Amino acid sequence: MTATSATGTTVALWRDWRGWPETIATAWRRSLRFRIISITLLLTSFAIFVTSLTMALVIQNNLFESRRDEVLSDALSAVGSGQKTLDSAEVTDDASALRALWGDVRDEIPRASSSSLIAAFAIDEPPVGTGVRGFTTGLSADLLSPGLRERVVSFPDRQAWQSVSLPMEDGSTAPGIVVGQQLIVPEVGAFEVYIAYDLADSQQTLRFVQSTLWVAGLILIAIIIAISWAVLRTVSKPIVEAAETSARLASGDLEVRLPVHGEDELATLARSFNAMADSIEAQIKELGELSLVQQRFVSDVSHELRTPLTTIRLAADMLNDQRDQFDPTTNRTAELLHTQVQRFETLLADLLEISRYDAGSVQLELEATSLTSLAEDIIEQMLPLAQGRGSELRLVAPGGYTPVDMDPRRVRRVLRNLVGNAIEHGEGRPIVVTVDSNQHAVAVGVRDFGLGMDPEDAQRVFDRFWRADPSRQRTIGGTGLGLSIALGDAKLHGGTLAVWSELAVGTNFVLTLPRQPGDLTGASPVSLEPEEVLSEVSHATQPMQLTELRELYFTDSMSNAEEDTP
Amino acid sequence: MTSRILVVDDDTALAEMIGIVLRTEGFEPVFCADGAKAVEEWRTQRPDLVLLDLMLPGMDGIEICTQIRAESGIPIIMLTARSDTADVVRGLEVGADDYMVKPFNPKELVARIRTRLRPVTAATSEVLRIGDLVVDVDAHEVRRGTMPIPLTPLEFQLLVALASKPQQVFSREMLLEQVWGYHYKADTRLVNVHVQRLRAKVELDPDLPKIVMTVRGVGYRAGSVS
Repeated sequence: MTATSATGTTVALWRDWRGWPETIATAWRRSLRFRIISITLLLTSFAIFVTSLTMALVIQNNLFESRRDEVLSDALSAVGSGQKTLDSAEVTDDASALRALWGDVRDEIPRASSSSLIAAFAIDEPPVGTGVRGFTTGLSADLLSPGLRERVVSFPDRQAWQSVSLPMEDGSTAPGIVVGQQLIVPEVGAFEVYIAYDLADSQQTLRFVQSTLWVAGLILIAIIIAISWAVLRTVSKPIVEAAETSARLASGDLEVRLPVHGEDELATLARSFNAMADSIEAQIKELGELSLVQQRFVSDVSHELRTPLTTIRLAADMLNDQRDQFDPTTNRTAELLHTQVQRFETLLADLLEISRYDAGSVQLELEATSLTSLAEDIIEQMLPLAQGRGSELRLVAPGGYTPVDMDPRRVRRVLRNLVGNAIEHGEGRPIVVTVDSNQHAVAVGVRDFGLGMDPEDAQRVFDRFWRADPSRQRTIGGTGLGLSIALGDAKLHGGTLAVWSELAVGTNFVLTLPRQPGDLTGASPVSLEPEEVLSEVSHATQPMQLTELRELYFTDSMSNAEEDTP
Repeated sequence: MTSRILVVDDDTALAEMIGIVLRTEGFEPVFCADGAKAVEEWRTQRPDLVLLDLMLPGMDGIEICTQIRAESGIPIIMLTARSDTADVVRGLEVGADDYMVKPFNPKELVARIRTRLRPVTAATSEVLRIGDLVVDVDAHEVRRGTMPIPLTPLEFQLLVALASKPQQVFSREMLLEQVWGYHYKADTRLVNVHVQRLRAKVELDPDLPKIVMTVRGVGYRAGSVS
């Protein structure tokens, strides 16, 4: 199976030639090795090709020239020996003797020459009856160009030569040279003698040399590629290693180091890298220690401050319990002491919580909890406070009943804070707590119809110790840190805490918690912009309260119609 | 008869203030400021309850709690400046019955002490059965067959609460209210840790509980009588 599919892949890869340019471009971009090898391959191939070509041409030339010189001298000596025979003979008018002499010459020339392809033509028409005529042995007159013959005729003392294709016995042709020169026959006149030489041997030598050259060139290219591959490997392997090590370092593995070999540039790279890693590790360790020191400090401050505060708290409470026995001034003093110690206590608790967030030492204690029942609890808890302010607390819960992992202590604290804020700024109007869920998240919205804020102010509600209206008195006794802590709690859950507010319309806070940590996608189940959702949701669940609420909302808006239209 | 309470705290001002509060409420406080002497002091004074600070010079509160628990089931309430999980859970695991995070108010302190000193009461003073155990409420005794199993008053109270209503599933909140006297949502770790401690003593195999059964997502109930 595997083999078949592998072959299939290969075939598919080969067939998918359209993708090649893309693949090559990617490899070129991504791989230093591929790029350098390609360049090396291209340049060396070109250089070797040019060198081989030049060498082949030079060798061919030399071979030809030496062969030609050899052929010329061979022809010269052959014809020369024929001439000598002619010159040394005692020539009379005896035609028969002359014929016999000519016959000797005809035998002499092939014997003295290394080729048997010979042709001779009379330049001037020989006297009739001498019997001395031109002849050809294996060399056809057709092979001789008129130019060659003309040159031979015109220059009696010189040899002339020409390259020709010699027909072979098997019908093919072979390269050859024809050399021509004059032979003077006494009493008869001048003859042109041509001797053709076969260059097949030289041709074969040349071919052998050339093919050797090309093969050598290819082997050379292969060797160069192999060498550059090997060299590149030694260079690029440490680079790849360094890249991988950096990646591991970046992903938090501070212990990794590069091996250092020798003292070359790569070793320098490795050493500097290791020095960098050392320094980073040291700094991170130092930061970690600082954070530990900070956490310990927070914890110590907690202990040191809380013990005397407990004593003060106990004393203040004791005094407060007995304050009816005091005169009015001391009575009031004891009461003030009591309330302010309580305030100090909450402030301290909030400060410690905030500094825990800053130190990053906060941990969630997850427990499957139903957000709806949690909201019910909080509403029940906050009911006395709300009634004291004339606000009605309402719960609208189309969803959020199934338990979701959360830290109930923290979520409770966030909700208590949000509902408390809503009561404080709700101007005695109803407060609607909406709980809903979707595939990814559960959410709770706390909506009041009170004072509201500018959108710019709303952006700052999570700032520490920030107040929308500094002149406004704190009555419920918030510390100014509640919403910062609430935001911290939401973020710790991987959730969000968002605010919507409008002056004279009201405020809506929405806390959204993911079902799975880190899986907070899409919109929150409870919309931040409250109106439409309120009507939809309330229609479905509590229509009576909705109409009441809408009437209330609209009449309220009407009464403020000058400055605000719904 | 006034209950004697040992206050182990190195902060003398706080110890004195706690003493004032306790005396006002009719208790008899005795003090120990040195952790190293706390166990010895406990042996000589034989108090009815120990208020134990977790961070002490000499010997820390966890160690003192472990040593006292090895000898007695006396109610121990930890006083801690840290609400951090680790400390509180460690204290509960070595046997502290309850804990209070500083700063606390006097009413809360007195309420916690009174709850721990309150005698165990059951709807009936009969002999109760739970699993293969016999719980004799009047005699303050739990037996498997003839073998008595020593339990601290808190553990006994927890077991009686479960055994007196064998049909009922108790949520952690219900147990917190009934055994610890909390009328609001408190730390359910109290219940979890003490159920573990109770199981370690009464179950034959604490990993396969037959006496204190877990009802997933709800709480606990008594194991059926066998």
